[in-house]
Amino acid sequence: MRWIYKFPLRIRSLFRKKRVEEDLNEELRFHLEKLIEQNIASGMTPKEARYAALREFGGMEQLKEECRDTWGVRMISELGQDLRYGLRQLRRNPGFTTVAVLTLALGIGANTAIFSLIDAVMLRSLPVNDPSHLVVLNWSARNQMRGTINSSSFGDCNESLTDANSSGCSFPYPFFQLLHAEKGLFSGIAAFAGPAQLVLGGNGPAKMASGEIVSGDYFSTLGVKAAVGRTLGPGDDDPSAAPAVVLSYAFWQSAFGGDRSAVGRTILLNSVPFTIAGVAEQSFTNLAPGKTQDFWLTIAIAPRLNINWVSRGQSFRDWWLVILGRLKPGVTLQKAQAATALTFRNEMLHGSEPVWKASDNPGIELVPAQQGLTGLRGFFSAPLYVLMFVVGLILLIVCANVAGLLLSRAAGRQTEMAVRLAVGAGRRRIVRQLLTESVLLSLAGGALGVLFAYWGVRLIVSLVSASMLGSFPFVVVPDWRVLVFIVSICIFTGIVFGLAPAFRSARLILTPALKGSSGMFWLGGKRAGGLIHLGKSLVVVQVVLSVVVLIGAGLLVRTLRNLREVNPGFDTQNLLLFGIDPTLENYKPAQVQNFYRELQERLAAMPGVTSASYSFPALLSGSLVITGYHLDGQPDKKSVPADRLTIGTDFLSTMHIPLIGGRAFTDEDFQQAAEAASAEETAHKAAQSKTPGLGGAISPAVASPVSALVNHAFALKYFPGQNPLGMRLLEPINPDMSGKTAPQIVPRRSWVIVGIVGDTKYSNLRRAIHPTVYVPITGGGARFELRTAGNPIALIPAVRHAVELINKNLPLFRVQTQSQVIDGLLVPERVIARVSSLFGLLALLLACIGLYGLLSYETARRRPEIGIRMALGAEKNEILRMVIGQGLKLALIGVGIGLAGSFALTRFLSSLLYGVKPTDLITFIAVSLILIAVALVACYVPARRAAKVDPMVALRYE
Amino acid sequence: MSKPSDLVQGTLDLLILKTIAAEAMHGWGIAQRIRQVSGEVLQVNQGALYPALHRLEQNGWIRAKWGESDNNRRARYYSLTPAGRKYLEREEANWRRLSTAIGLVLEKV
Repeated sequence: MRWIYKFPLRIRSLFRKKRVEEDLNEELRFHLEKLIEQNIASGMTPKEARYAALREFGGMEQLKEECRDTWGVRMISELGQDLRYGLRQLRRNPGFTTVAVLTLALGIGANTAIFSLIDAVMLRSLPVNDPSHLVVLNWSARNQMRGTINSSSFGDCNESLTDANSSGCSFPYPFFQLLHAEKGLFSGIAAFAGPAQLVLGGNGPAKMASGEIVSGDYFSTLGVKAAVGRTLGPGDDDPSAAPAVVLSYAFWQSAFGGDRSAVGRTILLNSVPFTIAGVAEQSFTNLAPGKTQDFWLTIAIAPRLNINWVSRGQSFRDWWLVILGRLKPGVTLQKAQAATALTFRNEMLHGSEPVWKASDNPGIELVPAQQGLTGLRGFFSAPLYVLMFVVGLILLIVCANVAGLLLSRAAGRQTEMAVRLAVGAGRRRIVRQLLTESVLLSLAGGALGVLFAYWGVRLIVSLVSASMLGSFPFVVVPDWRVLVFIVSICIFTGIVFGLAPAFRSARLILTPALKGSSGMFWLGGKRAGGLIHLGKSLVVVQVVLSVVVLIGAGLLVRTLRNLREVNPGFDTQNLLLFGIDPTLENYKPAQVQNFYRELQERLAAMPGVTSASYSFPALLSGSLVITGYHLDGQPDKKSVPADRLTIGTDFLSTMHIPLIGGRAFTDEDFQQAAEAASAEETAHKAAQSKTPGLGGAISPAVASPVSALVNHAFALKYFPGQNPLGMRLLEPINPDMSGKTAPQIVPRRSWVIVGIVGDTKYSNLRRAIHPTVYVPITGGGARFELRTAGNPIALIPAVRHAVELINKNLPLFRVQTQSQVIDGLLVPERVIARVSSLFGLLALLLACIGLYGLLSYETARRRPEIGIRMALGAEKNEILRMVIGQGLKLALIGVGIGLAGSFALTRFLSSLLYGVKPTDLITFIAVSLILIAVALVACYVPARRAAKVDPMVALRYE
Repeated sequence: MSKPSDLVQGTLDLLILKTIAAEAMHGWGIAQRIRQVSGEVLQVNQGALYPALHRLEQNGWIRAKWGESDNNRRARYYSLTPAGRKYLEREEANWRRLSTAIGLVLEKV
């Protein structure tokens, strides 16, 4: 209860300081008077009595100070003093303050900007209820899945499909059902996949929209509520249920204008009518960072939409669902993991369709959803961490720079400090006061830095969005983490750059400082040497750090240049691309073929179009298809991997891919491929209608061969020294679990090589050219390629019109020029190259300012000495050389250490580099030369000033 | 000032608390009382008295009120708070135990 008495006292002494002081004075006066009275009573004269009393009291002021000490607010009131004094100091030196605050603002702003991005991309917590109890299932095994497995994943988590270590988070639907039946571990368990690209109709013109396919208890497991209407429930996840969708809040706003009456309306998805059941709450944007979807629909309804990875989704051989569980209260992660892993292992080893052997050791790991769902985080994380490191270095440079400024100012304030020390200020008190000043500076810098950070974030986000043809998929808003970051970085910075100068000042030697006439000569000797030495070290530090930043930036810029100059093997100029998928509108394979042919002919005939073709996927689109082939004349079980691209009419001539040998595809080739495809389908149907027992009776047959093209790399690698023309490729045989050859129910596909074409890059610019097989397209979705005479963008409306003439319900998607696609692929590279070179220049500038400042101060300090030298006959050139030499020495030391540091550090960049070694000699030399050249300029100005010293004036000065 | 008044800090606190336990007193009065009661042995230094009073007040053991002194002069009167009273009891007991212990050592060793 003592606080009842204590608290008001503190408040009183803090805010009613004058009153408290008066009280103290009166109290002590009363005591003094009593003492005087007593002395008079004992026979002294009033005057003597007074003297005696005062003597007995000792130092009155000291006594008062001791009393004030007990009030416990001294720290605070002194802080107030320091702040007021600091502000006055900063106001008095507007030049110094401006430079320091601007420098700090740049450093703090850059750090805040990058940290805000890191916060948005990596640290933001999942927008669901209580994310800490949500886990995502990851499987792992020592081997790839055995047998024919259809596996789809959508970038929700990290996966690896190498032989030695396979892992992933896609699961078969029956396994989800098994877990769902187990009631002991999870209070809710949900599965999801996608999003699927669907044709949205019934709401204006048809367009593409993305729908995530989810299990019935997806929303209840996540704890996500509806903003309008209702969310999906188990009742919707039933094959007989009426199809329902829940819209995302953003899609509701953009496509339906936030109209509440949208709920209950019917829309068409791939021509299937769905009722809008509700809108999810606004905060629920997505699970995996950076992924978005427009709406959600249930797993049971999804097969009606004719999506290939869904319709085959009911067996243990189809892996496509991500599984999330919410741990029951009291169930530990370990317990749930052990139980889940056991179920998984049993099913995988001894279930109806075993996928692994015991030696493959299949297992399950439960990962907190926050970490496990990585999404696009991986795409941005490496560049962001590099940038964070870079801005960290920039901040250190800024600290060194401002510390240098403070140091030269501290020299000017030596007399002030000496006086303070002489009248009894403690050294700690002085350090504290100087630190208050520097923290004040960095807070001012931080306030301005927040503004810089705001611009910086907008700049980077627009840089990313411009090249991704879509908005930056993360929301960058300051939250408490950013706020804490800014405040701590300000205080940290203030203390780091303020510490050295503060301690220097407090360790002053009084006598010469007080005598110091101009504050110049007394600096001579060991102490001043220390001050200058510290200044020099700070400059060297700045040079070192800027060398590291510049070399990093140089390597990244060269990487971007190398990637831009990569020859992809085809002509990327004047090429318009768009995607279209008639199967979404239930076109049968034969209809698809006709549709493509008709569209291709119409497009090729359009004015401004030189030629047109189609393929799946498009080159340099990020997509990649790899298949195994059995080569003619090789043992039966041996197969080789090769990239595969399915192409349509005129592909080579449209893309300007050279034909090296043989011939291109003819109409007969496409006809033959279509026939082979329909024959395979017929065989499939026939096999399915037969009883399973009869399956073994069919002998492995080979279908009649379809024409194929291979690239130069394929010919070199798989047919060295041979002519590949006329060679056959066969679909490999998949050995089953027992290692025996499975009975073929359909004839094996086969191809015959009819031509050899030039090498091209396939999925992206970084990936090396692999052996590639080109086969005629026979169905499915496709990307169209249009070679245009002029600007491809201008043709977009005409292209849309041409498609509408055939079918107005078929939306185009990803309408882009090839250059835009390539730009999109290089987003991280470009952002990181631009931003890091910007920071490199900033670092260079700061280091030069530091060097310039130090030399200016040095030459000013040594003016008398220079005067004497000149009086004794030194030439102007000698003085010039002396000063420049001094600066250059620092720059060279810095460059040397910086090169060594970079040599050690740049290898951490290697995963981001392309076509340039982390220790690239050219970059290292170029950066050194640039730095030395700029340092020379920075040295020249103070050197000139020193050389212009008039010996008479300089000597008279002292 | 004579040596005995340079008391250990805790001791001065104890004396002050004990002195004002019966009635509120001002600083001068406290110094006088301690001197009288101790038979002029303990002289309280003014330089130590006031910081001690202020510290005790800030700790919430005692509280101060302005009151009338002789000749209508204003003086600051200190009295114990309930917490201070408890604190005094505890400190007094401690002191007794300590002095007894020291006494024992002095007698027997």
